Amino acid sequence: MSYAYLFKYIIIGDTGVGKSCLLLQFTDKRFQPVHDLTIGVEFGARMITIDGKQIKLQIWDTAGQEAFRSITRSYYRGAAGALLVYDITRRETFNHLTTWLEDARQHSNSNMVIMLIGNKSDLETRREVKKEEGEAFAHEHGLIFMETSAKTAANVEEAFINTAKEIYEKIQEGVFDINNEANGIKIGPQHSPTNPNLPQSGQGAGQGGGCC
Amino acid sequence: MAFLEWRRFNFFQVVKDVDSGKVKECIKDKKVATSSNGNGNLVFGDSEGTIYLVTRGFNVTTINAFALRVCLVQMMQHSPLLVAIGEDEPGINPLIKVWNLEKLDKLGIPMCVRISRTIPNNRPTPASTLCVHENLNLMAVGFTDGSILLYRGDIARDRLSKPKVLRDGGMQPVTGLAFRSTAKQTFLFVATTSSVFSYNITTKDKEEKIELDKEGCEKNCSTSTESAHDGQFMIGREDAVYCYTTDGRGPCYAIKGTKVMLEWYRNYLVIVSKENKTLRASAATSPTTPDGPGGLFGTTSGSETHMVTVLDIQNKFIVLETSMQDVISVLSEWGSLYVLTGKSDPCLYHFQEKDLQAKLGLLFKKNLYDVAIRIAKSNQYDADGLTDIFREYGDHLYSNKGDHAGAIEQYIKTIGRLEPSYVIRKFLDSQHIENLTTYLQELHKQGHATEDHTTLLLNCYTKLDKTDKLKEFIMTKDREVDFDVEIAIKVCRQASTEDALLLAQKHKMHDWYLKIQIEDQGDCKQALEYIGKLDFSEAETNMKKYGCILLQNCPFEATELLKRLCTDYRPSNKPLVDNNMLQGHINPFVDRANPADFIHLFTECPEHLEEFLEYLLKEHSEWNPLLYNTLLEHYLNSWGTLASAGTVETSRRLHYEQNIMRLLQNPDSRYDKDQVLILCQANNFRPGVLHLLEESHLYQQILQYHMIQRDYKEVLSTCQRFGKLDPNLWVQALWYCARDSHTPPDLLEEILQVIEKNKSLPPLLVLDALCTSSEVTLANVRSYLLNVLTAESKLAQREQEQVKKNREESERIRTQIQNIQTKSMIFQVSRCSACNQPLELPSIHFLCQHSYHQHCFQSFSESENECPSCLPNNKKILGHIKAREKNKNLHETFHDLLDKAEDGFALVAEYYGRGVFNKLTVVMDDPAQLPQKPVLSDRNILSTGAGAEARMRIAEQPSSFRGTYNQPQTSVPTTSSTSRTAHISPSQIQADFASMSMGSQNNSPKFSSYTPKSYETRSEASGSSFGTKGQTPPPVVKATQPKINPVSVKVEQVSKNPFDEDEDDSTNPFSENLESSNPTNTVGQKESMKGVAFLNNPFEDEEENDNVSTSTNPFDEPDDYDKEKNPFGCS
Repeated sequence: MSYAYLFKYIIIGDTGVGKSCLLLQFTDKRFQPVHDLTIGVEFGARMITIDGKQIKLQIWDTAGQEAFRSITRSYYRGAAGALLVYDITRRETFNHLTTWLEDARQHSNSNMVIMLIGNKSDLETRREVKKEEGEAFAHEHGLIFMETSAKTAANVEEAFINTAKEIYEKIQEGVFDINNEANGIKIGPQHSPTNPNLPQSGQGAGQGGGCC
Repeated sequence: MAFLEWRRFNFFQVVKDVDSGKVKECIKDKKVATSSNGNGNLVFGDSEGTIYLVTRGFNVTTINAFALRVCLVQMMQHSPLLVAIGEDEPGINPLIKVWNLEKLDKLGIPMCVRISRTIPNNRPTPASTLCVHENLNLMAVGFTDGSILLYRGDIARDRLSKPKVLRDGGMQPVTGLAFRSTAKQTFLFVATTSSVFSYNITTKDKEEKIELDKEGCEKNCSTSTESAHDGQFMIGREDAVYCYTTDGRGPCYAIKGTKVMLEWYRNYLVIVSKENKTLRASAATSPTTPDGPGGLFGTTSGSETHMVTVLDIQNKFIVLETSMQDVISVLSEWGSLYVLTGKSDPCLYHFQEKDLQAKLGLLFKKNLYDVAIRIAKSNQYDADGLTDIFREYGDHLYSNKGDHAGAIEQYIKTIGRLEPSYVIRKFLDSQHIENLTTYLQELHKQGHATEDHTTLLLNCYTKLDKTDKLKEFIMTKDREVDFDVEIAIKVCRQASTEDALLLAQKHKMHDWYLKIQIEDQGDCKQALEYIGKLDFSEAETNMKKYGCILLQNCPFEATELLKRLCTDYRPSNKPLVDNNMLQGHINPFVDRANPADFIHLFTECPEHLEEFLEYLLKEHSEWNPLLYNTLLEHYLNSWGTLASAGTVETSRRLHYEQNIMRLLQNPDSRYDKDQVLILCQANNFRPGVLHLLEESHLYQQILQYHMIQRDYKEVLSTCQRFGKLDPNLWVQALWYCARDSHTPPDLLEEILQVIEKNKSLPPLLVLDALCTSSEVTLANVRSYLLNVLTAESKLAQREQEQVKKNREESERIRTQIQNIQTKSMIFQVSRCSACNQPLELPSIHFLCQHSYHQHCFQSFSESENECPSCLPNNKKILGHIKAREKNKNLHETFHDLLDKAEDGFALVAEYYGRGVFNKLTVVMDDPAQLPQKPVLSDRNILSTGAGAEARMRIAEQPSSFRGTYNQPQTSVPTTSSTSRTAHISPSQIQADFASMSMGSQNNSPKFSSYTPKSYETRSEASGSSFGTKGQTPPPVVKATQPKINPVSVKVEQVSKNPFDEDEDDSTNPFSENLESSNPTNTVGQKESMKGVAFLNNPFEDEEENDNVSTSTNPFDEPDDYDKEKNPFGCS
């Protein structure tokens, strides 16, 4: 399927906060209460439309386990957006946010859009982290904040799409160097030549090969 | 802390030595350098230049491919082409050779179709990887210096275009190559020891490199998945297996261990890694390899122990983990996985995948139903099987884990295949209702619900108090959720009537709607409004059903609706003018209910009935009579109650009165007269009664009515008004007056006057009538009596004069007879009666004082015995007598006549006049009321000797007989009148009148049908006798009888039944033989006598019009006398 842009996301956060469930909800629109531990990095893709443009989202769903940190770290680099997820019913997942954020900032490109997500909002009764705290943290670190529920699908779409919008805006502003694939953004086969405000590198010229 | 590994299951069975050592035999002591598989062959290349082809049956074909060694081989999957790189000459001089395995040479060895060198940029470098595209047009060779050559064109041909150098040397060796084709594009994945990248090689000479990763892998540690898995390129590294797509990095699977080999087999990734102590330990504890091959082989010196791990990437399981010695190659051919191990002691293992059932069984044992489901689904397990799994899973969750919600979730997946009762039964406890509700909801959503399920679900809702859910459920649009509406309504009705109402309304279950609205909600107004919106027929039936309640509660609205229904109904929510009408089609059939069906509804509220009916009658006029009757009845009732209540509301009373009369007088009104009459009478509504009676011509009833009301003026006026139409009215009026003690005298007089004038009632009956009254004084009837008596006495006088005259006449005749018999007859006629000439001899003299010349007589007469001048007259008389004699025997005719006769008395009297009973009458006459028995005894006497003698004597004395014959002519009326008085006593007559039935029981004519005319004829017929009787009481008559009839004693002895012919013939005075035995004289005398007798007969007139009068027989009473002896009975 053709697309205008391809954005690469990475979902990070402590183990058990619901990263895989968020992905499953977003890509398959279903919820699986019993989910195997993610071993390594899982992968999902979905098309969305922003501003009338088809955008393909490639999402790496990483393992939250400390043991896989080295594997997952290598994925930061190619991501344009990151969903930093904590569990509102477990304060320690919130407390670990700083570590995750440092990690992400360190290994990713500086323009990466990070969205802070407080998951499991359906479990209001067991809430340990207030929404305000999340908002405060996000504000402090310049993140977008949202509370979601992978179970009820509340805000799940929005989380992914808002991130995509942010990235898209940054592209429009010219913040992203879209030709550097390390930024996690790829221009679709049909679109690269028509984009005037972006310099074409020698390699990029060959990208349009599909059209010829 | 979870294991940082995927779950393990042993889905494979490792079978050793599947080839029975055939492969081992070939390659032992040789070093297998490379291997491949495809097109039904396993291919091994050894370091001595030989290639071994192993077929399915493990038959080995050997090709001496290269002189020195074989470096790389690739067998095409779908074509019989084998590509190999090897060396024929010493030094670094790699050659590409291609064999077509189907083209065999004379020795039966496959032919080599191509040999070419492969040297990147004329720099001799050992080739490290070989990859041939399945389309047989692309081939890539990687070298140890990092350079890559790409060959385009048919690989099986020698003539090749120059290979493209994609990458020049001087870098890390190429460790893996893989082609990947999408619909439009073709990529070449390349792995080196330090990087991963891909080339887009879709277009020749426009190859484009895409960096994928900055880390690479060792040789053999890369593979590409089948297209089902997105065509990923996988490389194995120390920490994990990384996947790459053409776009970039994909997922990665963290599997620790130094990878030696990666192979893709169907859905599985086969990883061969160097054994790791920790892994070994975990493998030993894992249930999959307690006695795996690793244990069997142990560790031999100089060999390495490898771990073979098979991953199910899709389901994320480790499906096999086992340790093996020196894995040389992993091959997936013939739909199975084969592993060649052992450098020195080669052995071929077969990894046999267990079948699905076995796998599932394994999972069930571990209660891993979710996994089982996943596997079953990925293996396209059939729906029934899946249902079983879901059910088992559900059962497990329910009974072992107590996770009812989870269990329901599983059970829901079985809907449509599993009997719902199985699930429902489990969840019927009250604490599981919520789960049950979920299940039932789903059941409905999927359209597998039955009535009972609906009921259950609705009950669940109500029990859980989920009204919103309930509402949502029942209000689902377009029957998305299929359920039995009726059941739902029933259930809802018990729980919340509002919902039931909504439901009924939505599904147009009008009946239910109304039932609930009226019976449960009691909102009749709503119900009425609803009915008003229905179609005609529905509205009608529902109105019939609920009209009563509705009228009681909302009489105004209900009446309005009924009015509409009965005139021109149209659902209230429809526009007055619809499309049809606009187009000019006016529906000629306006549905109109029959108001009669609704009348009974109004029993409780008569004022609305009145309104209703008045409205209807105003709208149309052609209604069922019932309508009119009802309205009238209602009016009358209201009038009646008002009347009884007093005179307070006279205006309303008047209003009703007017209404009634208007309705009664309206010619269009189709009321039932009889019924309305009864109603009027019941309510004592005078004008109505009178109007109706007059209408029905029941004048007598009017009279009666007035009499009962004692409205004497009206009585009189009624008589005057209708007297001409029904003269009997007066008679009746008389009777009433007589009975009513309060009758004013002037009325009575008036009546009597009219009666007298019209002679509508015999005076005796008038007297009888008056006798009954105790109040009527003589003064009141004096004038009448005087008048009557005068008239009667005049009549009597007239009659007596007549009698006297008759008597004188008979006396005269008697003397004449006497004279003829006893005295000499002097014939002194001087002239011939025929020719009127002076009589001269010879002459003939007749006793009738006619004399003829003999010649005259002879010429005139027809018979010698008869006087020609008397003959016509005599003949006539004789004819009469003969006819009478004939008639006398026609009893049947008599009875017929009697039956038909209006006045039987007159008929009998007439028969007497004819002389039928001439002898009997005398008998009856004498002992006043002689019963018939004596007559019989007389007859017996007759048959005995003495009687017979007397009879004979009488027969011999015609003269005396004549006398007796003559006598009765006058005596008959008298005797008959006496006998009549004897039979019909005044009291009896009175009784007759009282019972208003006159005449015999035989005919029993009704009073109404009784016409005064018949009475008059009758009274005329016996008028004189009545008169006589009135003046002279019966004893007087008896006393005079002997005088009148002097021969009665004599005749009594001779009395006999005149109808008894065989006995009477001889004695019959009219019989012919009597005449023949008589001398001529006698005959002549007799004849003349007859003539006289007839002249004197007062009944002659009647006799002339014989059989004309018809009357009923007043004597025909079924008394107890013998029929045989009854002169009127049939004999």
